[in-house]
Amino acid sequence: MLIPRRVKHRKQHHPGRSGAATGGTKIAFGDFAIQALEPAYVTNRQIEAARIAVTRHIKRGGKVWITIYPDRPLTKKPAETRMGSGKGSPEWWVANVKPGRVLFELGGVDEALAREALRRAQHKLPMKTRFISREGGEF
Amino acid sequence: MSDQLILEAEARTEFGKGASRRARAAGKIPAVLYGHGTDPRHVLLPGHATTLALKHSNALLSIVVGKDSELVIVKDVQTDPVHQVIEHIDLLIVKKGEKLAVDVPVHLMGESFPGTLHVLEHATIRVLAEATHLPESVEVSIEGLVDGDKIHAGEVVLPEGVELQMDPEALVVGITHQTRVEEPVVRAEAEVAAEAAAAAEASAESESSEE
Repeated sequence: MLIPRRVKHRKQHHPGRSGAATGGTKIAFGDFAIQALEPAYVTNRQIEAARIAVTRHIKRGGKVWITIYPDRPLTKKPAETRMGSGKGSPEWWVANVKPGRVLFELGGVDEALAREALRRAQHKLPMKTRFISREGGEF
Repeated sequence: MSDQLILEAEARTEFGKGASRRARAAGKIPAVLYGHGTDPRHVLLPGHATTLALKHSNALLSIVVGKDSELVIVKDVQTDPVHQVIEHIDLLIVKKGEKLAVDVPVHLMGESFPGTLHVLEHATIRVLAEATHLPESVEVSIEGLVDGDKIHAGEVVLPEGVELQMDPEALVVGITHQTRVEEPVVRAEAEVAAEAAAAAEASAESESSEE
């Protein structure tokens, strides 16, 4: 599972959710990809689940690129705890995904297989996404 | 691509995001023309025709503004990543006979040897070509290539009159062997249940010994 090796601050403010992605909106490595259509916090567990869904479906061949990284910690206070007494402990690591961001890329497989593999990955993610391809062009 | 696509543009009279949004709502695309030391000129292009023209990479466009006509290539395109619409275009004025450095997409042809996987390291290669004869794409054949084979930028066959403008040793396509994804070991339910029972017994014993 993806997790930062070392961080400057253990607890951070919640990442901003507004706006659209300004980078990472095009396919950079593979031939096919999943693109986010809504903002979301994607946890490292969800990323791993989606990766496993893709790699198990394609079985052999193909290459998967994960183009997001869960580098933001979210904290949680324990259950049945009174308010106050400082910030809770880090509970999740999330990637702050904005609309337009490419999440996963896939190469070395035909389009039908890529569509099905990425469709399975889409079900593991917490927001609306779409399938895009390099050949399909932008417009 | 040698064919010119003619687009009739109109000069922009109002500026700012409000005016740009009104223009986009009216089916037009804001654009700017510059190059060869001329002052930048802001124009509005017809939306649909421009979108179709941009489907060709390195398209040579002829922009007609009033009585003037300029030969241009697309320098930069700003798009909305979610709605996939063009928001603004930068057009570079070119002259016939002038040589330009442009990025040309690489199209792979054929299939590598069964059991291998191709990885496209450079989706585009930078070439120097005459403005009126810019290649739309370059084809690279990977037919029958085996594990470990590599195609470098210097080995790509370019059209006549086109020169490479990047490191000839840069890797364009690499062929690797396909990796097999390890399937998880699925254990029988009975085995899991037996393990759980053994663990429960062990914990019960430890509790009784503590008492």
